[in-house]
Amino acid sequence: MLEIKNLNVTVEEKQILKNLNLNIGKGEVHAIMGPNGSGKSTIAHTLAGKPNYNVDSGEVNLNGEDLLSKDPYERSLNGLFLAFQYPIELPGVTNASYLKQIVNAHRKSRKETPIDAGEFLKILKEKSKLLDIPMDMHSRFVNAGFSGGEKKKNEVLQMDLLNPSLIIMDETDSGLDVDALKTTADAINKLRNDERSFIIITHYLRLLEYIEPDYVHVFQNGSVIETGDKTLASRIDQEGYS
Amino acid sequence: MKTLTPSIMELTDNFSIETNSKDLSISHEIINDELKLKITSNYSQIPSRIKLISSNRSNFKIIADIYLNENATLEIIDENDYIIDTSFIFKSFLGSRSVLELYRFNKFQSDTNNSFVHTCNMSNGSMFKDFNFTNGSDFTNNETKINLNEENAKYVGSGVVMSNSSKCENNLEIRHLSKSAVSDCSFKAVTRGSSNVSFKGKVFVDENCSNTQSNQISKGLLIDEESKINLTPILEINNDDVVCSHGAASGKADEEVLFYLASRGISKSEAERIYIQGFLSEFIEKIEDAEMQAKGQNFINENC
Repeated sequence: MLEIKNLNVTVEEKQILKNLNLNIGKGEVHAIMGPNGSGKSTIAHTLAGKPNYNVDSGEVNLNGEDLLSKDPYERSLNGLFLAFQYPIELPGVTNASYLKQIVNAHRKSRKETPIDAGEFLKILKEKSKLLDIPMDMHSRFVNAGFSGGEKKKNEVLQMDLLNPSLIIMDETDSGLDVDALKTTADAINKLRNDERSFIIITHYLRLLEYIEPDYVHVFQNGSVIETGDKTLASRIDQEGYS
Repeated sequence: MKTLTPSIMELTDNFSIETNSKDLSISHEIINDELKLKITSNYSQIPSRIKLISSNRSNFKIIADIYLNENATLEIIDENDYIIDTSFIFKSFLGSRSVLELYRFNKFQSDTNNSFVHTCNMSNGSMFKDFNFTNGSDFTNNETKINLNEENAKYVGSGVVMSNSSKCENNLEIRHLSKSAVSDCSFKAVTRGSSNVSFKGKVFVDENCSNTQSNQISKGLLIDEESKINLTPILEINNDDVVCSHGAASGKADEEVLFYLASRGISKSEAERIYIQGFLSEFIEKIEDAEMQAKGQNFINENC
């Protein structure tokens, strides 16, 4: 599914990722933990193709294809989804219109016709209900004036609509209260299947208590210093990184 | 939606007016190349509506004096794609509690020169809703002067300019000349190529104008390196009992937004289009009339 080999990444002339190696198999859930500045978000943004995240050397293959040679939008169309830590506001564009446009971008890449308005509304209602998202949220501008919880739920809704094969969640649990965390985690668990893989970046054990990872990796200074099973997350929660 | 039983008045072989109401009186005379109009609107249960229709046969100049009597409502809609030079000079007089709504959705051919000058005098409790959507033209001049002469007069205006390689000057002067008047103005411009767009928005509040409310915001989006946007807000306030705000900002498209859209599978050109649409649509809700709001949205969508 995803192979990262000897990846070195520089951002604003500072090397962040150093000889990073990581393999993620189909259907696996990998959690990435680590102190601030260890490179957790950098790997997320690098995989998504964010400008100014310069890959100095290394390889990344997703589903057997070279990921790094693709434009950011092509990476999405090839099955990668990044749930942002800080979802971006898009004033002037209603959430419903935005969601329909991203769905249609993926349909177009599969040479399918644009989704029918009635069918889209039906799907939107079903998927919004799973996340306790009120339908009136979709008539507001994308993320503008949304609470932290609404923004994160909107990210999960998008990953559900786009049906990606690799989902990277960059601190999706931050900004969620206890109830919203459970609702969001339940929705994410419904997206788990044998074909879809997850990278969950988090500081806290609580999300991993709902979404059980197959592997936990500890990042430090831009590379993986320890890998274990879910018990590693519990140990870090109790003992810290030092 | 308002009931429209149109009757079309052909004023010249170049210009017609479609009206829906017998409570409108329209007279006209043609002197040389000028069409002089006198429009008077009286109170009517169904608001009066005028549509300006150009046949684009020859360059024209229209001078219109518009009178709204007490409680009258008049909508003027100019939804034309002009391939000729145009010049409009409007003078309007709004009686007590009357409402003037002016909607302009104009795409101008690139080799034309176009000018729109409007002076509006507003009485007690009157309202002027002024919305302008412009695209194209070698040179466009929009000049609007609002005199809020009496108490509780209210002006709401919004301008949207999309410019590819043109010079477009926009001057709006709002004069608060009586207390408790309200003005709310927004202006947005998107420029490409060798475009040069300017907006000068002046708000004047006279010394006896307590309880004034005024809001003005102007924003510009530069799509490439060559184009220019110059936004100049000017406030002259001579009374302390006012709430006045203004803001002006221009810059390039936010790379973070474009990356967010790309991360969802949207190509660069499509992301740019969505970004521009969003930028220009931010104030579309100021248009309360659903039909006109849809026309404004369509104009933005089709011209991005």
